[in-house]
Amino acid sequence: MKKKFTAFTAIAAVLFIAATASAQSEADQGETGQIENAFRGVMQDRSASSFDEELYVEKCSMCHRQMGMGTVILARRMDPAKAILENRENLTAQFITITARQGIGNMPRISEAEVTDEQMERIARYLVEVSAPAQDAPQ
Amino acid sequence: MTDFSPAAWRAFADAIGSQWVMNGDNDRRAYSDHYAEDEAVHAPSGAVAPSSAEEVQAIIQIANEYNVPLWPISRGKNFGYGGPAPVMAGSVILDMSRMKAIEVDEENGTVLVEPGVGFFDLYDHLLQNNIPLWLSVPGNSWGSVAGNALDRGVGYTSYGDHAAQICGLEVVLPDGDLVRTGMGALTGSPSWNLHHYGFGPSWDGMFCQSNFGVVTKLGLWLMPEPEAVAGYDYEFDKPEDLGWAIDTIMPLRRSGVIRQAPSIGNWLRSAAVMTTRDEWTSDKGPLDESVISAIRNRFKIGWWSVQIRFYGSEEIVDASMKVLDSAFADKPILSKLPAKWTRGDPPEGSPLTGVPVSFPLANANWHGGRGGHKGYSPVLPPRGDLAMDQFRRTYDLYEKYGMDYHASFAMGERSLTNVNQILYNKDDPDMMGRVDGMFRDLVSDAKAQGYGEYRTHIDYMDLVADTFDFNDHALRRLNERLKDAVDPKGILANGKSGIRSKGARA
Repeated sequence: MKKKFTAFTAIAAVLFIAATASAQSEADQGETGQIENAFRGVMQDRSASSFDEELYVEKCSMCHRQMGMGTVILARRMDPAKAILENRENLTAQFITITARQGIGNMPRISEAEVTDEQMERIARYLVEVSAPAQDAPQ
Repeated sequence: MTDFSPAAWRAFADAIGSQWVMNGDNDRRAYSDHYAEDEAVHAPSGAVAPSSAEEVQAIIQIANEYNVPLWPISRGKNFGYGGPAPVMAGSVILDMSRMKAIEVDEENGTVLVEPGVGFFDLYDHLLQNNIPLWLSVPGNSWGSVAGNALDRGVGYTSYGDHAAQICGLEVVLPDGDLVRTGMGALTGSPSWNLHHYGFGPSWDGMFCQSNFGVVTKLGLWLMPEPEAVAGYDYEFDKPEDLGWAIDTIMPLRRSGVIRQAPSIGNWLRSAAVMTTRDEWTSDKGPLDESVISAIRNRFKIGWWSVQIRFYGSEEIVDASMKVLDSAFADKPILSKLPAKWTRGDPPEGSPLTGVPVSFPLANANWHGGRGGHKGYSPVLPPRGDLAMDQFRRTYDLYEKYGMDYHASFAMGERSLTNVNQILYNKDDPDMMGRVDGMFRDLVSDAKAQGYGEYRTHIDYMDLVADTFDFNDHALRRLNERLKDAVDPKGILANGKSGIRSKGARA
């Protein structure tokens, strides 16, 4: 199953200042129904619908969902719609594990106390599943 | 001092399980300061991760037996100050990120947390349990609620002086003894996290920015969810606007109309989170006025900006807005954008309403590549003319060292904290060669005015401690006497805030 965050919220992470440029006096409501108004924040979606996704939210989403450090920096150099990690395609467990343990760019290394090897496997499993190419709907 | 028998590692493993004793190369890297140009300077020898105060006590006993220097961290996200890394290379990190217990007292508006509870953890807990209490969070909210308060971190709501919200600690002392402070020193007291003082000397402050004990539980006051939040985001056009803006706001601050600490920051504080330098110029020298104007125009920001907020019943916040309007009535502001949130609205999503965020950390990428920052933040009296002098002198230092001016002035009830961030690219040796000299100049400059820093980086703890020199460093002598009494072997966070045990002093 592929989880889709609307491209709007990802783009908002980059262009959120543009919202205030139009000098609204009320908060703007975006397609997601969330308040999107720079410096007033974009409320991150911290919900989860599976055990592994819950772990992903606890350990990773602060930087890798909307308005996270990872999302904001990645949107500077890739398609903003893919800046949210769960919107990437074909992530592999090896890439996820090595990246988290060694760090990459501005991402620091994640210790085995913060995320155990067993937890890392579960997070990788979630990301691999969520980044798998969309399947045809089952009959 | 940092050579200890390998038998200590086996003893740690016996006490807490070998899975939680980490001393491989990857582990050493994971607990190093990823903002540092040379991570070897403060590289630890490994880490141990206990799950309870009892395990912390066991680790302390072993450290005493084998003379192992420990460096306690809550979650190790103290970026800009050294992250998880110790002052003394070779120390063993005492990582309490596994200790994540949360106990909320909803009626009284308090929480008791273990060190491993992050701002996002506590936020999720409050949200999921429909508890109408708000956090106060720092700009980098990835870290620990307890750890941040104990380092005297700051947030943006009226509960933003985090150390002032501490109410009651449980502490493991360097000899393994377990102590509860304040009313908690009376067994079973229901007032431990309700009343700031106990009986006799007050100890909560002694464990802030110090190395006298390992805090294993921390009581903190939380803000009852207000009926409304209202305020303005102000933009000011000129550098000179800093002075009168501060003089306009401070009377409202002192009289209690404004109860949060507004932080007036320069354009780069906003821009570095939203863009990178090379999108605007490839020139490595000081930023041209035209570049600054272009950035300001695109993002519609002033030279300075400040966000002021009121919290409380709708009548009170509306009345406060009128007072604020009067104060700024005939002042030359560039723009002001009103903000209002009322109970029942969706979450506002920013630290101004206690929502944790991590995007401000994106400023580490301002120069591109793997970046970081160091902060130098002296405290000064809250006057516009003093702030303008401080701004001009520090701006000149940024120019002298070819760095981009990134600063803010946070308005406390009776003082300003001038946070100067030096943003850098750690893979640019030429730039990194300038950072140390600049930091030292910032320290000397502030000292010459009689200004001391409120919190500092592991590279500079001795340098900053040295500036507190009244009566030939009498305060350091006092701290050292206490250190020798509670930690004669120097096993705990040696060098934190320039406090060293007898065996480690020069």
